Amino acid sequence: MIKYTLQRLGLMLLTLFVITLVCFVLIRMLPQPVVQPGDPHQAILEERMEAMGYGKPYLEQFGMFLRDIFTKFDWGVSFKNYVGRPVTEIFVEKMPPTLLVNLYSIVLAIPIGIILGIWAALRKNSWIDHTISTLTMVCISVPSFVYASLIQYFLCFKLDWFPILMKAGTDYFSWPMFRSMIPAVLALSFGTIAGFTRTTRAELTEVLTSEFMLLARTKGLTKTQATVRHALKNCMVVVLPSIFGSFISILSGSLIIEKIFSIPGLGDFYLNSITALDYNIFMLDTCFYTTIGLLAAVVVDVSYGFIDPRIRMGSKK
Amino acid sequence: MKKILCLMLALVMVFAMVALASCGKDPENTSSAAETSETSETESKLIGSGTAEDPYRFKGDYTYTDSVTTLATNWNNLTYETNDDAYPADYVRCGLYTFVFNDAGLYPVEGRDPFDSYKIIPEMAAAEPVDVTKEVRAADNNKYGIPEDVDSGYAYKIALNQNACFQDGKAIKAEDYVKSMDILLNPDYRNYRATDYYSGSLSIAGAEARANSGHNKYAENGLMETPLTLADLTLNDDGVYCDAQGREIYVAISANVADWLGGDSLKYYVENYGDKYFNLEHWEELAAKENADGYAPLTEETYAWHVSVIATEAWGEDETNAPGYWFVCTGKYDEVEFEDVVGCYASGEYEITIVLSKSLKGFYLLYSLTGNWLVDTTLYEANLTPSGETYVSTYCTSVETTNSYGPYKLTSYQTDKQMVFEKNEKWWGWTDGKHVYVDPEDGKYYQMYQTTKVTCDVVAEASARKELFLKGDMITYGLQAEDYEAYGKSEYLYATPSETIFFLILNGCKSAIETREAAEDFDQTTTDLQSMTLLSFRKAMAVTYDKEDFASTVSPARKGGYGIIGENYIYNPDTCARYRDSEQGMQALCDFYSVDTSKYASLKEAVDSITGYDPDAAKKLYQQAYEEALAAGYITDNDGDGKSDQTVLITYAVSSDSEFMTKTMNYLNENVDKADAGTGFEGKIKFQKSAELNTTWSTKLKAGEVDTCLAGWSGSALDPFSLTDLYVSPAYQYDAKWFNADATMLTLTIDGKEITMDIHRWSDALNGAVRTDDAGVDHNFGDGQTSVENRLAILAGIEGKILETYDYLPVLQDASKFLLSKKVFYVVEEYNPICGRGGMTYMRYNYDDAEWAEFCKNADNLKY
Repeated sequence: MIKYTLQRLGLMLLTLFVITLVCFVLIRMLPQPVVQPGDPHQAILEERMEAMGYGKPYLEQFGMFLRDIFTKFDWGVSFKNYVGRPVTEIFVEKMPPTLLVNLYSIVLAIPIGIILGIWAALRKNSWIDHTISTLTMVCISVPSFVYASLIQYFLCFKLDWFPILMKAGTDYFSWPMFRSMIPAVLALSFGTIAGFTRTTRAELTEVLTSEFMLLARTKGLTKTQATVRHALKNCMVVVLPSIFGSFISILSGSLIIEKIFSIPGLGDFYLNSITALDYNIFMLDTCFYTTIGLLAAVVVDVSYGFIDPRIRMGSKK
Repeated sequence: MKKILCLMLALVMVFAMVALASCGKDPENTSSAAETSETSETESKLIGSGTAEDPYRFKGDYTYTDSVTTLATNWNNLTYETNDDAYPADYVRCGLYTFVFNDAGLYPVEGRDPFDSYKIIPEMAAAEPVDVTKEVRAADNNKYGIPEDVDSGYAYKIALNQNACFQDGKAIKAEDYVKSMDILLNPDYRNYRATDYYSGSLSIAGAEARANSGHNKYAENGLMETPLTLADLTLNDDGVYCDAQGREIYVAISANVADWLGGDSLKYYVENYGDKYFNLEHWEELAAKENADGYAPLTEETYAWHVSVIATEAWGEDETNAPGYWFVCTGKYDEVEFEDVVGCYASGEYEITIVLSKSLKGFYLLYSLTGNWLVDTTLYEANLTPSGETYVSTYCTSVETTNSYGPYKLTSYQTDKQMVFEKNEKWWGWTDGKHVYVDPEDGKYYQMYQTTKVTCDVVAEASARKELFLKGDMITYGLQAEDYEAYGKSEYLYATPSETIFFLILNGCKSAIETREAAEDFDQTTTDLQSMTLLSFRKAMAVTYDKEDFASTVSPARKGGYGIIGENYIYNPDTCARYRDSEQGMQALCDFYSVDTSKYASLKEAVDSITGYDPDAAKKLYQQAYEEALAAGYITDNDGDGKSDQTVLITYAVSSDSEFMTKTMNYLNENVDKADAGTGFEGKIKFQKSAELNTTWSTKLKAGEVDTCLAGWSGSALDPFSLTDLYVSPAYQYDAKWFNADATMLTLTIDGKEITMDIHRWSDALNGAVRTDDAGVDHNFGDGQTSVENRLAILAGIEGKILETYDYLPVLQDASKFLLSKKVFYVVEEYNPICGRGGMTYMRYNYDDAEWAEFCKNADNLKY
């Protein structure tokens, strides 16, 4: 297992390097945005870019980029969207709202989704199952920004239960802040709840019809005992990795939801950096998400071995 | 089941009773009662006696809640780049001079009603600038190069307001202005705003030389008096081509070429169009030769590579066009020091002198000085960090790095979320007795700036903005198209006019159209593009659309547009007189739309009769266009049904798709179908959306790769004359590829003499350049060089000529409408082209924050 994990980590680093290099070169190959023809500021803009080292060969620029990271952990400053500010500082500033809203939504969604899935599976083909399955399909089919708009209109505007926008400030763990996050959390949760419900129901339904479940019952276990001790454990082989997967999305945020509820998070941070060709922000974002994505893939793969002892990682046979 | 039914019935009854009870309340009475108590409460909230010596001031908290879609991130006045970043400027900065309404108190204007005009008063300055041109020229051997033949307009002494200070209490002295200018023009910093002080009307002497100190200087070959050709060049010892004076020649690679490429660069075109238009065999080698300024030295090798790149059939150029890309390196800017060349110095502890390289006086001088370059130099330099060979500053990017000298100070800032401003208690205006006005209603003196706090949140979605407004959490709400039905007649609805005219630009680039038609995937049996270049077709298109109907359908805040110069351009700032209301401006429209002015009592009535919509004329013109297109072979009628076999497909350049775009396309198609019915083009003219072109839409439109777009120009509201350049200069023109302003002659009678020039020369002369007419006489019709009447006649003449090209079909006059919260009111309802409605300076409140919170508890109060 250790050898397998180390192999995966090695491959992960290699992949990270290749992705970083490709992204670095591609973003710098994009044509510079131009101002209106004849605008006297154009010359200044070009000169600035040159002075900041952007006219040098790409590989030389990449070398400088890596040197600054490895020697000073300096990811540079933003020169377009947040002029002069270190990009790591902005990134860290914008991380908490995204992290919290998504974390709350997953914390809410996982138990509800799993419980609904179990309930539907245990009541398979009953009206409960049909209702849950129908709602699940609706929730999966309708994009989250539709819920967001509906929640904002009915719960925030009409009923005045919550603020229309997320509260300003950095008191992330205060009650007013939490209350202001609830609409966004709800909007993000519906899809995730539906996803977990569907997965859990499908897996549990299959497990419940397995022969070992019949054996468990014939050995004298009650239905509840058999379900909890055997069926649930088996269906978690699929559900648990999807929980890990969900946590990855915590960091990426949701562009639309953050816009609708005015959450100052990372949602449009990445996109804006590409539009503005704010290279340093783009590279920090790229490297961060790539690392998280690759790490998550390793964690999910390795977790299989822990969740289900029948799965042996790295085994040739 | 019975129990459930009973329970439900009981619940319904309870709800019904609650509903009836709430309906029984009389909102009118509530409101009246509120108003009565409000009057007495308002009075109790005033401090002072309402006289000039003791104006009314306000007790209580008055918060202005605002929203933006993008929050400012860099409001450094030396480096900011976008309008979003300019948002905090009015709060945290003051100009040397400022605009105020004229009133019956301190600022009367003779012959004008209060709040009908404006005054420019000293703000950071203590008095009007004093012209010291003669003295400055006489001193220091005229080191700023003031022309010998003028005695005024080049140098001014400005006494500074000695009460002015930063929010931290630090006094603002002359040295602060000088040091700030030094930072602004420091060649190592490459500040974005540096050019504002030498490329515009306020051109500080030596500013350009200092900002470019040590940098190379290039002159565009195409813009030189006698452009060079290869025959004029010789090779120097380094193998670089030089002109007769030994100056090296360069090929522009990523540098912009104004004359030949309309302000774009060769690299831009090559990277966007690649081998579709260019021969890329030697492109990489050529591009590798470019220097840090974006130019490659012209050698035999680079010349050959350059020619090979551009000399393609698709690009339509050959070796003879190569000089269009050349620049002459006229040397390096001398390395100069700030104090040696820049015309900005302290002439006293509280007095600065500015020296200009171009004459500027009167209104335009003061107007230019309503901005400010002043920064807290200590804080600025403390926040400078090196980046490559330059520096970046985080000055004015956070609370800590902002030191206000305006009426408000930044007290909270959260990136991409919210910024909060509160009263800057150190601002001199609270106590100087000058920031007061006489209320036009009660005749009492009031202190300006009633607002005590401004919060600005990021709200990207219009629906959220509306909900916030309707809950009382936002002061204004900009109406969306779908809101007009509900709020179009609201008494709280305000319209704000804008300068821009949106016109449909119609492709007339025959070469580009031929190229597109020659493409393999173009089916000439079903589609035609060439017909749109026919004048009759373009004329038909011009009268196809009812502009007012178009505006009310696709963009209700706007209205019909008829000329290429909008309604709100003021040619005389002293009287606020608008070009569109001038005799010349109105006559230009009547001439273009063939209005018989003799049928109307006044020119104004004649202009008001213009709709620009004539379905009968459109039909005749479409039929004429059909016949001409048939004769020219653009279209066929093989089945002999009298209808074109081809559909004229007009591709609309969509930058990014939206509901507005869809509505526009639907309107254009539906109405052209009505107009061409019964003609040879019946059902055969179609508008289609392009792919999303983002920022490349204008380049593609100029190149004739797409056919139309609703676009517009806006310029300084106080200078309509400068707009002409946008229509005659290839650097700006949308139609530069098919309309040559240099070959379009215009004859006008000026001061009794007939003068004939092309409209490019007319435009240059109108904007202060000396141009020679066809009879060899020099003319300059710039500001102050001739009468305003003459200038108006020239402007109208050029406008008429541009309209006659039918390249620009005016459609919409830009404007916006918004709802204003009941929390506030404007001292003056009428929109003033210069002062607007007074902005934050004159904003008044019906309720303070506590009262407003109470008021908002009753949802009926928040109906608009």
